[in-house]
Amino acid sequence: MSGEEDATVREPLDLIRLSLDERIYVKLRSDRELRGKLHAFDQHLNMILGDVEEVITTVEIDDETYEEIVRTTKRNIQYLFVRGDGVILVSPPLRTQT
Amino acid sequence: MSWAGPEDIYLSTSLASYLDRKLLVLLRDGRKLMGTLRSFDQFANAVLEGACERVIVGEQYCDIPLGLYVIRGENVVLIGELDTEREELPPHMIRVSETEIKRAQKVEREASELRGTMRKRMEFLDFD
Amino acid sequence: MLFFSYFKDLVGQEVTVELKNDLAIRGTLHSVDQYLNIKLENTRVVDQDKYPHMLSVRNCFIRGSVVRYVQLPPDGVDVDLLHDAARREARGG
Repeated sequence: MSGEEDATVREPLDLIRLSLDERIYVKLRSDRELRGKLHAFDQHLNMILGDVEEVITTVEIDDETYEEIVRTTKRNIQYLFVRGDGVILVSPPLRTQT
Repeated sequence: MSWAGPEDIYLSTSLASYLDRKLLVLLRDGRKLMGTLRSFDQFANAVLEGACERVIVGEQYCDIPLGLYVIRGENVVLIGELDTEREELPPHMIRVSETEIKRAQKVEREASELRGTMRKRMEFLDFD
Repeated sequence: MLFFSYFKDLVGQEVTVELKNDLAIRGTLHSVDQYLNIKLENTRVVDQDKYPHMLSVRNCFIRGSVVRYVQLPPDGVDVDLLHDAARREARGG
């Protein structure tokens, strides 16, 4: 194989390979979402992401009224290794404009 | 399976360097065990001698003796070496009897269960 | 093997390991194995008040399967090297 990128998609992980160096969306277990640039991944969907924004959604119950209060917490992390067993889905960048 | 030779146990990720040391073992269900590591394998199955469970509720704590324990590796979160030079717990924490800590634990559990059932009741009302 | 090799090269650097039970521990990466079990040295718990039982723990073994994230040091990430390694890994190399 030459140095150029193989653009054929035969299996799910090919789509992730084509997202290298692009910003992706990752949904994780325990109501967490990540947006960041994909720098590395393997067959378990372990990943290294850069310039990551993490959003955590929590539902609290008000002590008085027992109403559900939905809160989102955001934080930014420069470089993050993500263990693949927590990954629910990966969404590659949209390419409609290219 | 590669096993570290005796000369590089301190450089490897194996638990060999923790043998015969006093350890804290955190389990997946949140329990905290303490004891001396006598054996382990590649799954992090571990044998703890003189094991006890450290129960902490708020500022109170108690060490409940358990004896000799074989812990299944799958349930291990973390194994930490206890630095004997340092205080194990913050000074404001109070040691209480097993009966007292179990009572405190029960109160805590019931409070969180109440929140759970109240939430369920509210969800039910939403469907009316 | 990609991440095993990557973490081996990271030995000696400061990382923050976040576990699936929300406990976050900062420390020097001492070693890593094929399961991505991790040993940390000179550890401190990020939210110490919430975890009083961790006060006297200065080094620890973390089972790979309970890790959620590892926050990496910025100079421990060579982006081009990682891209190449990931493509090679995807090819099954």
